Amino acid sequence: MNGRKTPVDYNMMIKKASIFLLFVQLAFMAMPPVVVASEEGEDFDALHHSANAYYLDFSPFPKVELPRIFVVQYEDGSYGLELFRSTTSAIRNGHYTVEVLHEESGADSTATESHSTATELGAATTDETLDDDAAIPLSELEGHLLAPAGGHIVLDLSISRHLFFAWLSMGIVLFIMIRLAGMYKRGIGRDTAPRGLFQNLFETLIMFVRDDIARPNLGDKSDKYLPYLLTAFFFILTSNLLGLMPFGATATSNLMVTVVLACFTFVITQLGGTKDYWMHIFWPPGIPTFVKPILMPVELLGIFTKPIALAIRLFANMTAGHLVILSLIGLIFSFANLFGSGAGFGVAPVSVAFALFVYLLELLVSFIQAYVFTMLSALFISMAIQEHHHDHDEAHHESSEHPAAHA
Amino acid sequence: MIVFAANLLAPDAGLIFWIAITFGALLFLLKKFAWGPITSALSTREETIHESLAQAEKALAEAKQLQADNTKDRREAEAQAQAIIREAREEAERLRTEEVDKTRTQIQHLQESAQAEIEREKDNALTSLRQEVADLAIRAAEKILRENLDADRQKKIVDNFLGDLSKN
Amino acid sequence: MDPSALAYLGAGLGAGLVALGAGLGIGKLAGPAMEGSARQPEAAGDIRTSMIIAAALIEGVALFGLVICIILAIK
Repeated sequence: MNGRKTPVDYNMMIKKASIFLLFVQLAFMAMPPVVVASEEGEDFDALHHSANAYYLDFSPFPKVELPRIFVVQYEDGSYGLELFRSTTSAIRNGHYTVEVLHEESGADSTATESHSTATELGAATTDETLDDDAAIPLSELEGHLLAPAGGHIVLDLSISRHLFFAWLSMGIVLFIMIRLAGMYKRGIGRDTAPRGLFQNLFETLIMFVRDDIARPNLGDKSDKYLPYLLTAFFFILTSNLLGLMPFGATATSNLMVTVVLACFTFVITQLGGTKDYWMHIFWPPGIPTFVKPILMPVELLGIFTKPIALAIRLFANMTAGHLVILSLIGLIFSFANLFGSGAGFGVAPVSVAFALFVYLLELLVSFIQAYVFTMLSALFISMAIQEHHHDHDEAHHESSEHPAAHA
Repeated sequence: MIVFAANLLAPDAGLIFWIAITFGALLFLLKKFAWGPITSALSTREETIHESLAQAEKALAEAKQLQADNTKDRREAEAQAQAIIREAREEAERLRTEEVDKTRTQIQHLQESAQAEIEREKDNALTSLRQEVADLAIRAAEKILRENLDADRQKKIVDNFLGDLSKN
Repeated sequence: MDPSALAYLGAGLGAGLVALGAGLGIGKLAGPAMEGSARQPEAAGDIRTSMIIAAALIEGVALFGLVICIILAIK
């Protein structure tokens, strides 16, 4: 019936949508520097863009501030939880003050000055006379937020931009996968062939994780670790791809997020560790006794460097791509500032072409990094759960016997 | 504790806290509501496919076996039929030869007995002829002896007798 | 001279060296891997997997260096 026609329409739609999105994305990537450069004549900071923040950037539309949640220790030593709709509201209504940091100078040298600025600002806000456009707009402030007199912030549980996008991608993964599970529960894909673009696409990815990542490494124990690997894969992939959307931010380009993910791998690896695994670390067999005490700290360090490398790899890959795109776009304005606007227009096509190339590369990297993180997690877990029944001399022989290691 | 934007590498305990909790929750929820049904459905489907494949293979093997059996049976039946026909033909041939032989011997037998009969009849005839001749001779001699008057007459008598004899 | 200038110089040089090292490493890895999969196309899948893992490890080390450079540059 019309079932034959729908896939064609889907393809066309997706193609059109992706091309459109690409252009929209590039257009908006170019926007922030335009705003910054034209309004303030400042250099725009690519790092600033990749870093975490407490607002959603919809430039050229106004920023949307995110709620702030603080665990505060008051003057008398008691603890409290304070909740504000936004940072501005925290300053206005919560009597929070700002310790302004000046660029290119240490915080120590300007401590007194910054404090005076802070108190001044605080005094002004208490009067409720300060408008948004008076002095420095609040959203342009850079510095630390200080709790009202006497107290200090113990823990900042604010919903930051990266947290927002991490939750968004978690929500997307949850929504997609529960819908997919519903389809399988209804029998589509279980008793029949998978139906439609949605199910086929995600089944391919799930099968990829299971057959190319989990099973070759973990063998018959793969079922136990598959849920974690799948969750990590889809969360990282969704986060990476969200960062490539207009107005998006990459949650995985935040070191804290990747560190938490790596910690999950670390904990799962250590919990799954067999006796052999620990013996190989603390008393590696097959080497002279006097070398063993030297190797022990090295092996012990190796336990921690693996997840650290995992975290930094993902973080750096996701950050680097964005930095390169922003730098390429920023090149236009650097040229315009240095040699006049003509040079800026001249450089623009080259910059945009390169940015487009890097953008496509980023798309590839999004998938590769999700794959690599999951793959290495599976590898580390498999190294911990492997059981050697013999000495090191036979380990080689054993691994060749083990079909899972080469499958 | 930063107003709006954070440093790229700055530690952020709040974010770690949130991500750890929510990622753990995500892991739990997905494991319970998504990965379980999905992976079990996938493996069920794979098993079904494997089973169907195995069944099809088995059925194919069975069909082949059946075909081979059929061919063998047919061939055997054919061979048997051939054997039966050959046997029947041989039997018939044998019967025919036997019959012919029997007939021939019978005929021979009949011939032989006929011959013997003829021989015997001939012997009988000869014997009786000889007796007759002897009787005649005796009777002739008797006549001669009785009419022993003249030689001419005697001669005439003998001639007459012999003439009679030859007439008989 | 401003001491931060030296930091920027160090960051720039470091980033270049990191790229150099990572490029050499991945090049040395990818060459034989390509050769291997050309010689034995049936083993291409295995080779690709182990190549990606090794490349990721090399890249990881390179990214360590890069992070140090970023720290230097934004200090």
